[in-house]
Amino acid sequence: MLEGLVSPENLSLSSMDMSVLERLKWLRQQQQKQVVSQSSDNSPELLQILQFHESNNDELLQSTFSHFQMLGSGFGPNPNMGFGPSREAMDGCISRTSSLQMDPVDTMGVMLKNSEENRTISSKNKRKSEVKRREEEKTEKKIKVAAETESNMKGKSSMSNNTEASSDTSKETSKGASEIQKLDYIHVRSRRGQATDRHSLAERARREKISKKMKYLQDIVPGCKKVTGQAGMLDEIINYVQSLQTQVEFLSMKLAVLNSELELAVEDLYLHAYFTNLPVVNASKPSIMVDVPLFPLDQQGSLDLSVINLSQTTSIEAPSASWETQSRSLFNTSSLGFHY
Amino acid sequence: MASADKPINTDVPEKDVFTLHFLQSLSNLRRQNTFNSPEKTNDRVKKIKKAAYVSMARAAGGTNRLWSRALLRRAAKENSKVVRFPRRKKRVTCLRRRRSNRRDPVEEEEAERLRNLVPGGGGMETSKLMEETAHYIKCLSMQVKVMQCLVDGLAPK
Repeated sequence: MLEGLVSPENLSLSSMDMSVLERLKWLRQQQQKQVVSQSSDNSPELLQILQFHESNNDELLQSTFSHFQMLGSGFGPNPNMGFGPSREAMDGCISRTSSLQMDPVDTMGVMLKNSEENRTISSKNKRKSEVKRREEEKTEKKIKVAAETESNMKGKSSMSNNTEASSDTSKETSKGASEIQKLDYIHVRSRRGQATDRHSLAERARREKISKKMKYLQDIVPGCKKVTGQAGMLDEIINYVQSLQTQVEFLSMKLAVLNSELELAVEDLYLHAYFTNLPVVNASKPSIMVDVPLFPLDQQGSLDLSVINLSQTTSIEAPSASWETQSRSLFNTSSLGFHY
Repeated sequence: MASADKPINTDVPEKDVFTLHFLQSLSNLRRQNTFNSPEKTNDRVKKIKKAAYVSMARAAGGTNRLWSRALLRRAAKENSKVVRFPRRKKRVTCLRRRRSNRRDPVEEEEAERLRNLVPGGGGMETSKLMEETAHYIKCLSMQVKVMQCLVDGLAPK
């Protein structure tokens, strides 16, 4: 079947006594003929190949390549021809096959597009009847694939039926069903057994957003990585938040107990901060100043030191030594008249 | 439908900002006459706790964050003070989207618990809730560190 592509004319010509130039000319003519009428020659083979490898497009391409490579290599040990002419015939065949290779790839590409179109069309027009769909596809193909013979069209329509049938099932079963909405939208791939209508897509997008944020939370909350699944993670996060809140409460109780010392310490701390950071008065975040004064904390405006940015992060731990001299500093601060 | 995701921004200010706010609040608590009495420790505890939360909310970003805004509003309500926040048009659209977007009952049961924990969680969409929770957790941990340092510093030696 494959050798049939090597028409007997080639062999007969090679055995004739022709000059090299004439032979080259003949070869060129052959190539041109091939370009014109290659479709009729190729379509049966292509169709057979395509029908054989219906499901996977990549396999189709590879199979066509391998077939045509076989064509080129299969003529090496051709016993009928002499050595010299056989080589030229081989070159002719190979060039022919190479040209064949190029064009079937194009038609393959077109066919691939068409099959994809099939699927998109079939997924888009889910509700239309099958008959209508087939007609549409047929007309589509007539427009798309130009300069083809009638036999080719028939072959293609039969192929389209196959792919359509496969696409119907592929919509439900195969993984590669793609959906193309309008041009401006994101191209989304629907997975196995998932619907492709608008609402479910929106749902899916939302769920993905939420899962992304859950991942981010997972990084923050310690000990969350071991637990898998959203439910477990959420539980962990809730526990963590609750524990933090109870910690705050506990520490505030402690602070309340240490009340008297707190009083001195606070003033002392302010004094310390004031003296150490006075040359480094920076404006803190403007949002702080914008805050609405409420509760007993409405001193923002009156506090001259409100713009102090404590550049030392250890300002909390550092004064702990000075707190032992609280009594002395207390007198100092009161005498200074340190107002907030 | 095709929306670009903005990067999640949960930057939390430095420890200093938190400490400054907290100390300010504490010093103002000092001013109250009823504060320093040896009895009524419970009231003091409550006040300190409230002060801690409010100062944290302010330090974390004031009215820029949903949870802090809700916190401040809650605190102001308890004092029956009228609080005015700058109105944002976003809120209305958020509420409108709320009904159509918050489905999926499986997630909502746990999201409900989160909403109860995080201040202001009731009016948020689930994805927004996650962002707010992340920022809230960061700020809470910062506040806890600050208070811990204070307590350690003040502990009798």
